[in-house]
Amino acid sequence: MQTSISVEQIRKDFPILARTVRDNKPLVYLDNASTTQKPNQVIDAINDYYKNHNANIHRAVYALAEEATEAYEATRDKIAKFLNIKNREEIIFVRGTTEAINLVAYSWGRANVKEGDIIVTTEYEHHSNIVPWQLLTQEKKARLEYIGINDDGELIIDQLDRYLSTGKVKLVTFSLMSNVLGTISEVKEIISKCKAATVPVLIDGAQAVPHMKVDIQNLDCDFFAFSAHKMLGPTGVGVLWVRKSVLETMNPFHGGGDMIREVHKYETTWNDLPYKFEAGTPNIADVVGFGAAIDYLEKIGMQTVREHEIDLTKYALDKMSKVKGITIYGTKDIAKRGGVISFNFHDVHPHDVAHIIDREGVAIRSGHHCAQVLMERLNVAATNRASFYVYNTKEDVDSLVKSLEKVAELFKL
Amino acid sequence: MSDPLYTEIIIDEAKYPQNKGTLEHPDISQHDANPMCGDSITLQINVKDNSINDIKWDGKGCTICTACTSVLTQLIKGKDIDHAKNIRKETILSELGLEHLIQQSPIRIKCALLSLKVLKLGLYSYLANKLENKNFDNLKEEAASLY
Repeated sequence: MQTSISVEQIRKDFPILARTVRDNKPLVYLDNASTTQKPNQVIDAINDYYKNHNANIHRAVYALAEEATEAYEATRDKIAKFLNIKNREEIIFVRGTTEAINLVAYSWGRANVKEGDIIVTTEYEHHSNIVPWQLLTQEKKARLEYIGINDDGELIIDQLDRYLSTGKVKLVTFSLMSNVLGTISEVKEIISKCKAATVPVLIDGAQAVPHMKVDIQNLDCDFFAFSAHKMLGPTGVGVLWVRKSVLETMNPFHGGGDMIREVHKYETTWNDLPYKFEAGTPNIADVVGFGAAIDYLEKIGMQTVREHEIDLTKYALDKMSKVKGITIYGTKDIAKRGGVISFNFHDVHPHDVAHIIDREGVAIRSGHHCAQVLMERLNVAATNRASFYVYNTKEDVDSLVKSLEKVAELFKL
Repeated sequence: MSDPLYTEIIIDEAKYPQNKGTLEHPDISQHDANPMCGDSITLQINVKDNSINDIKWDGKGCTICTACTSVLTQLIKGKDIDHAKNIRKETILSELGLEHLIQQSPIRIKCALLSLKVLKLGLYSYLANKLENKNFDNLKEEAASLY
């Protein structure tokens, strides 16, 4: 097995990384937790689909329709293999993680959550794993509770016991990796507690799946969601995986074409899984592009991806912690975090930091990262966030650190 | 070193903002946030004889947001409500040499004008309530279409 990435080689596949920004500064793209860049292989797959195979799927009998259907369904098989999923019909294509979680809240949640029940989430969730549960619990007069985090940005899992002991918890939902702190959740421990209490578990895998080997059978959760665009694929495609025994009990999310077996004036029967949950013409071209992204990652190997990011994160934490006036959030234990580093620089607002270093070509995210509950817990309005992927280099980290000097200079720090 | 956005005047204004704080019994208290970044401003006003007798603001904002809020409060403190109602975004921006933001930075213009939006919303609530009519809908519309 390959042990290190040839980043030079990888970068050649990403045309955007060759461009300059602002005053001819080379682009240093460090906002991968938000979205990743796309390699030629993905762009070409989408192009090829529209140029040569475009037709609607699952309907017509002519050649193009067969080719389009085959290409679309091939991605489902690739996902099954990539994540060690047993049944391909458990994989539902959606627009992204947000839609996946909303689907669960709407379809499963409305049928299973009633007054007085509890949904448990965590303090470091993205808004997409908070707001759908607020909507559901408000509608059902149920309660939303939070597993807190300690000062190292790790979940205080003991708090889960208290909620589980009430016997009222209907779902525990958490992200496998925090999009702000990079913390990797202690998934085994959480799931074994939930199993013991026979409480279903939803995992938001949007930040984890792109960066580490994930084995869904091994995780043994009930719902799992992630997005293509954070793993070199196109925007507008994501996946909801649901354990078959649970999926079979669920009502449809959207009604319309493709999700039906027979429609009469006053009643309809549903199509087989997973099509029952894929109403309307889906985002065919981008699902095909997503397949190319998975091929690309498989070629590198997810273990190699993880090792590259550990290496880079270690280097960045070391280098950044030496910068005067910097505050870095989250655990220092490299085994417990992914390639996401949130920080503040003196008391300069993150917007100002990000704006100034953008002039040096360095693209980082600033703001609340759709995690305002976490911002409140950290007692900050916002943070800066640098996040890495397969094409990032130590030179990118150096550029980030150097660009902070400009901020210090302007603000006379 | 000079910078087109982070001029000394802006950095100084943000470092030592005026009228920061809260009022004990405000006649107007209005809050709003920028959904993109989570910056939030609360503006409080005491009205006396139809003029802005006192004004304070509190909240979290970047340099641009803080500097503009500070300037806005200075521009309207002691002035009558009609004056405050009609204050234009260009006036605030030009005080800090930020007119270029309108054209050049659709994202940062939101930082600059958040407090003006809060002011317009606050005055709208106050006037519509006090005079019990809706002749002030234009204020609400102005607030909504600032940026």
